[in-house]
Amino acid sequence: MTAPTTPEPTAPTTPSVLVHLPAELRARTGEQASIVVASGDMRTIIAALDQAFPGLRFNLCAETGELRPFVNIFIDGRNVRFGSALDTPVAAGSVVHIVHSVAGG
Amino acid sequence: MASSDSTALRSGETVVLLGTKRGLFTVRSRDRVTWECAPTTLDGTRVYNATLDQRGGRRRIYAADNGDFFGTFLRYSDDFGQTWQEPERGIQFPEESGLSLENIWLIEPGRPTEPNVVYAGVAPASLWVSEDAGVTWSLNEGLAQHPTRSEWQPGAGGLCLHTIVPDHSDPQRMWVGISAVGCVRTDDGGKTWQFKNKNTRAGFQPDIYPEYGQCLHRMLQHPTQSNTLYQQNHCGVYRSDDGGDNWTDIQRDLPSEFGFPIAIDPGHPDTVFTIVENEGRNNFGEQFTVYRTRDGGEQWESLTEGLPGGGGVRLGVLRHGMATDSHDPCGVYVGTNTGQLFASADGGESWHVAADFLPSIYSVTVAVIE
Repeated sequence: MTAPTTPEPTAPTTPSVLVHLPAELRARTGEQASIVVASGDMRTIIAALDQAFPGLRFNLCAETGELRPFVNIFIDGRNVRFGSALDTPVAAGSVVHIVHSVAGG
Repeated sequence: MASSDSTALRSGETVVLLGTKRGLFTVRSRDRVTWECAPTTLDGTRVYNATLDQRGGRRRIYAADNGDFFGTFLRYSDDFGQTWQEPERGIQFPEESGLSLENIWLIEPGRPTEPNVVYAGVAPASLWVSEDAGVTWSLNEGLAQHPTRSEWQPGAGGLCLHTIVPDHSDPQRMWVGISAVGCVRTDDGGKTWQFKNKNTRAGFQPDIYPEYGQCLHRMLQHPTQSNTLYQQNHCGVYRSDDGGDNWTDIQRDLPSEFGFPIAIDPGHPDTVFTIVENEGRNNFGEQFTVYRTRDGGEQWESLTEGLPGGGGVRLGVLRHGMATDSHDPCGVYVGTNTGQLFASADGGESWHVAADFLPSIYSVTVAVIE
């Protein structure tokens, strides 16, 4: 009897980035705190998030496509507002944090 | 405070929904004397308005969930606020409009003869319609494309459509209230809209009687005389007996022209309640007072029994902060910006605190369980 062969782990076919999601949106994400999506610019990453969690784009962006004023997105620690906003490229291996503005004081 | 629970709802029970600065609460009573207040799972966001709709065999709560950070959503619940659903196609402006949703101000069930129709008013000022009990929503293009729209100016709360009055006698006629535009009426089912502000003041403008630009705060229709309307305005209290074509000032001896809410006793519709405020947007004088007319606005009387007074009393009530129930004598409910719900079970003669220590109350609606 021949032992079954274990398939080799498949390498990701697309360079990917890790996106951390805020606690306030966990109802939308089914309690998922992070997700790996394909790299691209921030706008395409939001589109991917919306595909994974329908409706999430409207949490992050107004109908005009602009990032909501109290939503901040950091790519490897840099706020996209001080770069090219949603056109900011997100390289493979980057870590994205989505948070809301500080509130309370 | 136990969480809200629909399983124990009984026919005849009175249910008050409180939209607050931080979440939606239910306040229930079987005798309108003792009350049970409970939070819903809609917690932590600004709920400008909520309503319990019992038409069409449903018992559905619609709520305006205005988030601080992650957007504004209309939500609905069929289990008395324990779980919530989003529409399949919600209130979102077309991208090409250049507009973005700020806040949902009002959710108004349609006529009894159209149990799947629900309306919503939002900022920026526009009217939204659902014909499938909230599952999908559409923008009323007639109002959105109004030729004067580019000249509409916001009030302090934004350019908001906060009042919707579907005519109970004519399915083609409806009034809406917009701050600071005024009263706007359609006679053709929403295709075209006309201003109906004659004789209502805009005392904050050089021309105090403009065609539009008034700051209407709240408007209601008489439940049996379809041409009779009442409105509380930034500048006076008014009545119309011709569907809004002309308005008559009925402020009379009320101590201030400024107030937000207005409510009608549905069983005795010449009885109307209002609250007027001082320049600081608090009770006029040192006694928190609800005012009542029993003759359609000819005379007003002060109702104070059980309401607080004294040098430290500074209460404000917003435009959706007062409601009446369908009992006789009718119950009257007033929610304050300091988190109290005052209730009267005898048409305003006497009052008691039905709920306290809540976040600032934005809206009060009431239903008697069928």
